Amino acid sequence: MMSDRLRAFSGQIIAVGVALLLGAIIILLVGESPVHVLMTLLRGAFGDQEKIAGTLLQTTPILICGVAACIGLRGGMFNVGIEGQLFLGGFAAAWVGFSFSLPAGIHMLAALALAVVAGAAWVAIPAFFRARYNTNEVVSTILSNYIAVLLTSYFTIFLFKRPGGWSETPPILATAYLPEIFSFSRLNWGLFIGLALAIGVALVFRYTSWGYGVTIVGSAPKFAEYGGVNVKRQGFVVLLLSGAVGGLAGGVETLGVHHRFMEGFAPGFGFDGLIAALLANGSPVATIVTALFFGALRSGSLLLEVDTSASREIITVIQALIILSVSAQVLIKRRGDSQAGERRWKF
Amino acid sequence: MEILDKLINVALIAATLRTTAPILLVALGGSFTTKAGIFNIGLEGQMLAGAFFAVIGSIWTGSAFAGVACGVAAALAFALAFAVLVVTFRANEVVVGLALNILAGGMTISLMKAIFGTRGSIVGHGIVGLPKVQIPGAQALLGSWAPLISGFTPIVYVAFIAVPLLVLFYNRTRLGLYIRVVGEKPEAAEALGISITRVRYTASLLCGLLAGLAGAHLSLGYITMFTENMSSGRGFMAVAILIFSNGDPLKVLAGCLLFGFADAFSLRLQTFGFPSYLVLTVPYVVALTALFALSYRARPKIIKETLASMQKLLSVDRNSAPVDKNP
Repeated sequence: MMSDRLRAFSGQIIAVGVALLLGAIIILLVGESPVHVLMTLLRGAFGDQEKIAGTLLQTTPILICGVAACIGLRGGMFNVGIEGQLFLGGFAAAWVGFSFSLPAGIHMLAALALAVVAGAAWVAIPAFFRARYNTNEVVSTILSNYIAVLLTSYFTIFLFKRPGGWSETPPILATAYLPEIFSFSRLNWGLFIGLALAIGVALVFRYTSWGYGVTIVGSAPKFAEYGGVNVKRQGFVVLLLSGAVGGLAGGVETLGVHHRFMEGFAPGFGFDGLIAALLANGSPVATIVTALFFGALRSGSLLLEVDTSASREIITVIQALIILSVSAQVLIKRRGDSQAGERRWKF
Repeated sequence: MEILDKLINVALIAATLRTTAPILLVALGGSFTTKAGIFNIGLEGQMLAGAFFAVIGSIWTGSAFAGVACGVAAALAFALAFAVLVVTFRANEVVVGLALNILAGGMTISLMKAIFGTRGSIVGHGIVGLPKVQIPGAQALLGSWAPLISGFTPIVYVAFIAVPLLVLFYNRTRLGLYIRVVGEKPEAAEALGISITRVRYTASLLCGLLAGLAGAHLSLGYITMFTENMSSGRGFMAVAILIFSNGDPLKVLAGCLLFGFADAFSLRLQTFGFPSYLVLTVPYVVALTALFALSYRARPKIIKETLASMQKLLSVDRNSAPVDKNP
């Protein structure tokens, strides 16, 4: 058992190494020195205490989105719509933040609660059709991302624009802020929410019969069926929970960092979260590590844009290469199988 | 009535054909992989790579057709990577497809910055767009309806001619048949001695070819520029179409015309002063609605009947019906 895990872990490390090597070649191709880029990334991510706080600030939404993706992956569902849930959750939290005045604390909780509801509601239709009619959830959630981004932009610019502002809502009231941890950074309690969520979800999967049921449905649906699990309802609930956490990520980002909703406020965090969860093999605790890794890359890339001629999207390339090489590891285990064998994905 | 006349006219139909062409090409490309039993969510990235390298090729060579060739080559490289990972390495199709899409997005932006030093878009720099083909005699024959058949770029014609060709391909050629067998009954294909690996590679590369053409049409067709993520979900819409058409070329055409119309119509609405953000959601809403509506219709009846009788026999909980992966 342990040696299996160890082998899986070393496999991930090798895959990351291969991807970094390929990334280095690409950096050479765009005319930069890989060593310089790496040092800049490291300096940008961990250079001083403000940089480290900045890295943790970037890690927070990736971690929460990663947990959202983990919940889906464990239950055999690809929630690729986390990006959209994040945007709607972010807008919902901002709306509560600027349109109501409530006592401090309660205001924040109400905003987060509505963000959670918005995220869950947004995924409810794809989840319903996935559960009831087996409609491919990958495509439906991806397409709903585009609608979510445009819809929140519409809300922001046409319905709730700050007078005199440009594509942003009025600021939320201070009673809804997530408290900041340090004076020198916008790093806030959202990080603790993310960590608690990751550990909490891991415990649920490990110690509750419901969590066990989800894992079984994800890995062996037929077996779960015969074991008496209501597979359809569970699939629906899993996607709904995943969407709820995605919405929470948006709420945390709004209440903790921006204190308002603006057009394109958190680009790519949903996808980064999904990638972090895939790299962590669907384990919420391992997602803490991978989210930190991607958070550091993102944070470092800000300095990269300033200090080198390379674009910050080079880290997106590296992330994609990591996932590709991790996914290719299967070769080692499966060589020689019949090609007609089981297909893991079909619509 | 006058408004309706302004909204729906020959120009709108011609615009529909123009906007249909890229999504039709990429969906027809995806039909190869769908028929071969591969779920190809990577169409979006292939198309985006095609659009970017078509522009690069057009600038470097000064020829639109060489640009198209470059775009196709880039899309083929992505398709090859997809095939290597999915067919040979047997990695998860969804993971590989999504990762290649992300790679295409990041790579095009990084290269844009490295080559042109700009972010956002490539305009000018001597990009040569595709010429428009004027069909001789169209004006005399059809009068004011001539824009329906004449004046498109060559890729639009290729897209529509490809539909009947693909019908013939699947029904009348050996390779077409092989692709279908591999997709529908891989065990049978293996028993017949068909190399599943080779067939799936071929299907994937054919897919890259058409996706590259679709991308080139985006950046060298009616507008000659490249912008970040300019494929804007068309590849995903194509996958939605492939799901409910099962890759049949004629059904793909019908679905794509619907989206082309939604696209052209929403552009029209924009000029009438509807908020652009809402108008831009129209194609995605149409895609989702069609996906949901048709999956409701296509729910497997036979399986349901079998289930009903099984449930009677075993008197198990009604809701706990086994999930079948084939709708």
